[in-house]
Amino acid sequence: MISIVLVDDHALVRAGVRGELDQAFNVVGEAGDVAEAVEVICSTKPDVVLCDVHLPGGNAPAVLTGVVERGVSAKFLALSVSDAAEDVISVIRAGARGYVTKAISGDDLRSAIQRVHSGDAVFSPRLAGFVLDAFSPTLEHPTSELDVLTAREQEVMRLLARGLAYKEIARKLTISIKTVESHASAVLRKLQVSNRSELARWAADRRIL
Amino acid sequence: MISRSLLSRWQMPRLDTDGRWIGGVCAALAKEIGVQPLVIRGSFVVLAFGDGWGLLLYAATWALLLLGAPNVVVGVYSPQPKGASSFHRHIGIFLIVLSLLITTQSYDLGPLGQWSLFSELVWPVGFVVVGGLIAWTQGRDAVGGLSSVARIIAGVVVAVSGLTAFGIALTNDTFSLVILGVVIVLLAGLGVVIGPSLVRMGNTIDQERSERIRSDERAQVAAHLHDSVLQTLSLIQRHSDNRTQVVQLARQQERELRGWLYGTKPSTPGTTRVGPAIEEAASHVESLHGLPIEVVSVGDTVDYQPEDIHGLVAASREAMVNASIHSQADKIDVFVECGQESIDVFVRDTGVGFDPARIAGDRRGVSESIVGRMKRIGGRAVIDTEVGLGTEVELSLPTPRSTTPVTEPTDRPTVKVDGNQMFSLGHSGMEGKSYD
Repeated sequence: MISIVLVDDHALVRAGVRGELDQAFNVVGEAGDVAEAVEVICSTKPDVVLCDVHLPGGNAPAVLTGVVERGVSAKFLALSVSDAAEDVISVIRAGARGYVTKAISGDDLRSAIQRVHSGDAVFSPRLAGFVLDAFSPTLEHPTSELDVLTAREQEVMRLLARGLAYKEIARKLTISIKTVESHASAVLRKLQVSNRSELARWAADRRIL
Repeated sequence: MISRSLLSRWQMPRLDTDGRWIGGVCAALAKEIGVQPLVIRGSFVVLAFGDGWGLLLYAATWALLLLGAPNVVVGVYSPQPKGASSFHRHIGIFLIVLSLLITTQSYDLGPLGQWSLFSELVWPVGFVVVGGLIAWTQGRDAVGGLSSVARIIAGVVVAVSGLTAFGIALTNDTFSLVILGVVIVLLAGLGVVIGPSLVRMGNTIDQERSERIRSDERAQVAAHLHDSVLQTLSLIQRHSDNRTQVVQLARQQERELRGWLYGTKPSTPGTTRVGPAIEEAASHVESLHGLPIEVVSVGDTVDYQPEDIHGLVAASREAMVNASIHSQADKIDVFVECGQESIDVFVRDTGVGFDPARIAGDRRGVSESIVGRMKRIGGRAVIDTEVGLGTEVELSLPTPRSTTPVTEPTDRPTVKVDGNQMFSLGHSGMEGKSYD
């Protein structure tokens, strides 16, 4: 059974999420702020950490770096009430494997956790939209191969942004689900390691708005 | 409050234009002091005989009141009942006494050099009275504080300097120089006395203004929260048994509050930005039909005609409404992409879908509101649906500058993809008849 730690500053939210997950997963710990989260994750070593973006004592990236510094590896899935991509992009850049909003249904959340656990990326339509925007070819001068999405990756992102599930994307593009997953993972990796300035600028622009 | 009482004391009297004989100065002063206007008028007349002091004083007072009158903040401070302030009365009485003293002196001896014993006392007495009044009123009203001490001292200084200067003046011939010195000392003393009050008056007005702005803001926030959040909460309480309505209310409120807090409020009508316009339409449709609509928007609009954007948004809206009413899905995804060649809008649900052949005849919703509308603005609409698998409406509007028209595969009207029927409407010119 996949072991999980919940990190959210609202006990009520933790309780609600826990209720959704208790049947399918083994919830081994909860935390309400950054320091506590690092402590709990390092002592319980869960498979997946479900982490809110805004936390007292720092934000989700602080948890990620804190855990990595202690030599513990866990897969992070960001769960945020904010659907503003700039809030979430910092978590993704810090190494989270996916991002879902709190409006997500229980089924979708469970499948997202499973997917993250198996090493895949989890995109919400909004995150896919963000990727398309940030890697948009209209922004000038891509500096390296990492900074461009392949045509196929773009296509996958566009379908994700339209709200299609991996299964539907696979059918639409007549490729296997596995291929769709590998495209999504490649895009997530590019998003995480790309140092193209447009990413930062995109996020900065949106914050001003 | 000290500052408030000082403020009201230093509030300029306003020229009394109703009861005036000349400029309204005497009437204003009389009102301020609390005596009959005739007394003041008489004083000025008597003073006028004293080497013209009265005329000078009258002109100076007039100018002062003219300058001072407009800057009084009307309606903010209710003026004290006139005549209530002893300070004013003292000034008035002093004016009357002064006029009598000066006149006596003036009648006795014309030239300034030859002063009688009585008239020699005029100036010293005048200064002592002024200084004493200042020291007294300050000491009485101001409870402690360094500045009030300083001003009491200043008042004493004015009085003493008056005495000293005139002591010298009486034994010296350099009369006019000494007068000058005395006037300077007097003005400096008055500056020390009045200055802080004037500064404080300015500060108080600023402070009041900023406080008013702040409380206005607070009131605005409160009003907003009341209008939106509290109303919604009470509605939710009342409809707590109706799940869909609660969800709908909560979602609508969330969207509104988010927009208000982060300033991402959908733009105003007449806009040519597609993303915000469609988001606005989505939130409207959502609030009407209660089905959550998630809008993801990518890129930004380039030079489109507002009417075209309007048409595109209206068609999108129609698609959202259709999905809300007919799809039975639990949410609708809307994706807006503003590319270089076109704007594409995808309205997607995973609901029951429909068989287009069955709506081809009399129902005009799809063919008119969506397909026809897109065609009129030079775009196209493709509807992809299958019973049981949901519906996706794809709207595309080419950029005005792109020379290539939207190309469409000729075999588009009926394409089978994995058992999934795809329909193309619009440019085919056979809308409504091409489904089969």
